[in-house]
Amino acid sequence: MGYQTDIIGKRVVRTDSLAKVTGTALYTADMKLPNMLVAKILRSPHHHARIVKIDTSPALKVPGVKAAISGFDGYGIKWGVFRYTQDHAMLPTDKVRYIGEDVAAVAAVDEETANEALSRIIVEYDPLPAVFDPIESMKDGAPQIHNEYKNNINIHIHIDVGNVDKAMAEAFLVREDTFKAAGEAYAMMEPYAVVASYANGYLDLWMPNAGPHVRAKALSNLLKIPLNRVRVRHINSGGAFGGRSEVAPGDLVASLLSIKAGRPVKLVLSREENATSSRQVHDIVAVVKTGMKKDGTVIAKDYKVIYDGGAYSSTGPIATSIPFYVYEECYRFPNVRYNGYRVFTNKGIRGMYGCHGRAFLAGNEAQMDIMAKELGIDPVEIRLKNGLTAGETTATKSKITSCGLAETIRAASEKTKFKERWAQKEDNKGIGMGCIAIMCGFPMGFRSGSSCYVKINDDGQVTLVTGLVDNGQGNESMVVQVASEVLGVPMEDINLVNADTEVTNLDPGAYSQAAAFVGANAVKAACENARKRIVSIAAEKLGTEENDIGLKNRMAYSISMPDKKMPISWVVREAFFRGEPIVATGSYFPNIDFEREWVSRPWGQMAGTFSFGTSVAEVDIDPETGKITMPRFTAAHDCGRPINPMAVEGQMDGSIQQAGVATITEGNVWDNGFLLNPDLLEYKVPLACDMPEIETLIVESHDPDGPFGAKEGGLTVRMNAYSAVACAVTNATGKLFSELPLTPDKVLVLLDDNKGVKG
Amino acid sequence: MILPKFAYAKPKSIDETIELYTRYEGRACYLAGGTDIIPLAKQRLVAPDIVIDLKNIEGLKAIEKNDDFLIIGANTTIFDLKKYPLTKEYFRGFYESLDETSCETLQMRGTIGGNILQNTRCLFYNKSIEWRTARGFCFKMGGAVCNAVPKGNICFSNYCSDNAVSLITLSAELGFVSPKGERRINIEEIFSGNSIKPFNLEPGEILTRIYIPMKKNSGAYEKIRVRGSIDYPLINVAVALKDSGGDVSIGGVGPAPLSYHIDSVDENSVEALAQKAYSDVKTVANTVLTPSYRKRMAKVLVKRAIKRALQEVK
Repeated sequence: MGYQTDIIGKRVVRTDSLAKVTGTALYTADMKLPNMLVAKILRSPHHHARIVKIDTSPALKVPGVKAAISGFDGYGIKWGVFRYTQDHAMLPTDKVRYIGEDVAAVAAVDEETANEALSRIIVEYDPLPAVFDPIESMKDGAPQIHNEYKNNINIHIHIDVGNVDKAMAEAFLVREDTFKAAGEAYAMMEPYAVVASYANGYLDLWMPNAGPHVRAKALSNLLKIPLNRVRVRHINSGGAFGGRSEVAPGDLVASLLSIKAGRPVKLVLSREENATSSRQVHDIVAVVKTGMKKDGTVIAKDYKVIYDGGAYSSTGPIATSIPFYVYEECYRFPNVRYNGYRVFTNKGIRGMYGCHGRAFLAGNEAQMDIMAKELGIDPVEIRLKNGLTAGETTATKSKITSCGLAETIRAASEKTKFKERWAQKEDNKGIGMGCIAIMCGFPMGFRSGSSCYVKINDDGQVTLVTGLVDNGQGNESMVVQVASEVLGVPMEDINLVNADTEVTNLDPGAYSQAAAFVGANAVKAACENARKRIVSIAAEKLGTEENDIGLKNRMAYSISMPDKKMPISWVVREAFFRGEPIVATGSYFPNIDFEREWVSRPWGQMAGTFSFGTSVAEVDIDPETGKITMPRFTAAHDCGRPINPMAVEGQMDGSIQQAGVATITEGNVWDNGFLLNPDLLEYKVPLACDMPEIETLIVESHDPDGPFGAKEGGLTVRMNAYSAVACAVTNATGKLFSELPLTPDKVLVLLDDNKGVKG
Repeated sequence: MILPKFAYAKPKSIDETIELYTRYEGRACYLAGGTDIIPLAKQRLVAPDIVIDLKNIEGLKAIEKNDDFLIIGANTTIFDLKKYPLTKEYFRGFYESLDETSCETLQMRGTIGGNILQNTRCLFYNKSIEWRTARGFCFKMGGAVCNAVPKGNICFSNYCSDNAVSLITLSAELGFVSPKGERRINIEEIFSGNSIKPFNLEPGEILTRIYIPMKKNSGAYEKIRVRGSIDYPLINVAVALKDSGGDVSIGGVGPAPLSYHIDSVDENSVEALAQKAYSDVKTVANTVLTPSYRKRMAKVLVKRAIKRALQEVK
């Protein structure tokens, strides 16, 4: 039931596009404040070492240096996303735990002076044995990276539903495979930067982030400054992808330097620092065991997944769980056991990349195809058979409301003539399918909801105030579009104030895929409350019933007698006259089971709703070089209802690059704890010439709770694209991948195995 | 990353250039397009007192020809050289290597001289000063180890010019001017075989011209890289067919290109050559993708390049 809308569902120019394409959009590194200083960070040259002593005083003797700090200048408070993962001091005073870790910093009048000052800082280290492989790290006798975590096991997630062992014993077909993937780099185009300005007891900050309130709270704790005096301001963000969700050492560094120097401080990371010293993506080893009935019904899954977490917890249990959840939200698993281990190693800190987990997700999908084939079932059939439908409940007790999974499978399959193509045996050509579900939000305590405030100014123009965050995906434009629909004024009449902790209220941020479902719902609620006030006055003035009033094109009008109308601005002025200006708030709190805990109680309603998607990749393999080319990629995404179809398509297109083509090109390369490709030459982000022909299909399942039926706008492609590619390679070669990325050297190994050739 | 401090000059003549170089007692770097030297300077792998920009020197950007040679000024950009009508018509393999160099935007900046004289590369070498300090300095940086090959006793960094290999197959010559005078040598003679100092050049020597014998050659160029643009060759092969046989050159693997001549391009000769190339090529784990894969591709690319060059003849 898609009801009539004026602007929802239309392809509109985004509110941020003009500034961004003309180069006038302001990013953190562009900021210039009076008397601003340049900060530089001194980083650990050791994988693992005790800090014996840090002496920053020689740095202060360099002319032009205004402050020099180390962890000893803070309060020694350790931060963590959870109370049980508080292990990150930002600037350590006990040990360094990875090459590139932040140790000390200076603020100076220019970059050259700062570099000179850094070279004067004295740090004495006592090197310790280090460990780089998570399997080695878990063994008894391995170097302990944190005292609190025995065997370097940061988090163990254990989920056990039904009776897996019994079901496996009864299964007709059982298969177990191990899949590995190198962690990716976020490679956001904007390297991390932060501006901190401390004055008059207030600390103002700008940085690309996914949630300013979470930052402010963390810094308030770390610096013992009251929360209302830590203000994280709105600034454009050049991409995050899950890598900018938490407070960063750079935030504390810039803040401490500004406090000490009494001047604003700007810290800009180099591309290399962004790769080594902000977030990386987990390397993963996933053991997937599946039990299937003869008719292809999956009856049991048994998982053991090891996540290489790097040196600190970061999101800890969330990262250790999420790949499992997006998969169990897509398929029916009556019996499932999941053991996820996040393990510390002496490498950079790992976070989530979208919902991350390409080894696990692609492995599941490719294994399913190969098992289904043995049973005479094709990938479309097996997914339709095992895919969840509306009204069902996942293994960990999340109820599915709207579900377009089957529609996305059919749409992608028809568009690509999948069934025929898959059945054809064409040498070195393959077609593959990947499915996934995405939770629209997840339990984050009281931060799971969003709140919006709207005011209408006396000329009928609107100001929206919301905590919602935009990292480049178009969230800001989306809520302006929603407000435009509800209030009947064009988008250009609406100003948005967002992601500013002093002004805007709580919101999940660009995190947990909640912007459309939660953030936009709050905006819609606020605007509807404002609309009621407008309608009430207009009805009175126009002499008609309230339910006869429509708002469109800046006018309030009688629906039955459209000639009876008045500008909304007149209504607003009338309201002012009455001493009751048109202002309203609205909130949305999703239906989540807040008793859910990632580790201790991993079941209950995860999110208010879920999106679903299916991708189809087509590959050609050069049998002599192993090089894969991708002539075509088709993605179908159930976003409930697109608010701006162009924005949804943009997300899908970008994900095809970032997850689809990346399956054959992208991976961090390590030499123990040294990152060998911390740059955009050797880290292979797919280029325009590497891209396939793209087809994006939007499926509408009209979510009953989403704003205008909308759900998240495109992340399914980022989480199923690698599955589609891996499955296509399986179709082409008859083999399962064992390791991602599927670079040419690895593909040749696969093909060699086919021929029984070694080497 | 900011550049280190250096003086900068843009002389108008060779004489002026040499005078500057001598005055700075060799603590100078020559700058053409800058695509090699700017990253090296930012990473503090070079730290000259003066950067001498060669782009104003008259005559180094011209392309001329006489009956015997095509004479290319060293400052000619890759892009201009690719677009020069004769290139594709006479030297097909060279045209292909120019077209496959990096990406078109950088082709418009990089010069053929700079492309030939680019420094060797290694994942452990082309890194910032901070990264390298933490890792420890290697042979190429003046240290005492190889970071890519534990217990290695030589430098294994790779010479990655796309175009040197095709120029080798075309028997190209290079013209130089130095404080000691002028010389003109076959391109293969510039390679020292030592990755620490890859070129046999006199201090201050300026590459002025590239001479290619004016003879139509059918040829081909093959390159392995992960992406379809920008990336350096992980291994490359150039072929130029001559009379009944041909010349083949392989690069991206070690300090200098390998080169071969075959008298015949029949299947057996090609197979034998491919086998020999595979056996000669030495790769180590100093690039992305495995060394055994790169070595294996020597064989594949030699056969492919010759096959395509032969198709072009038809």
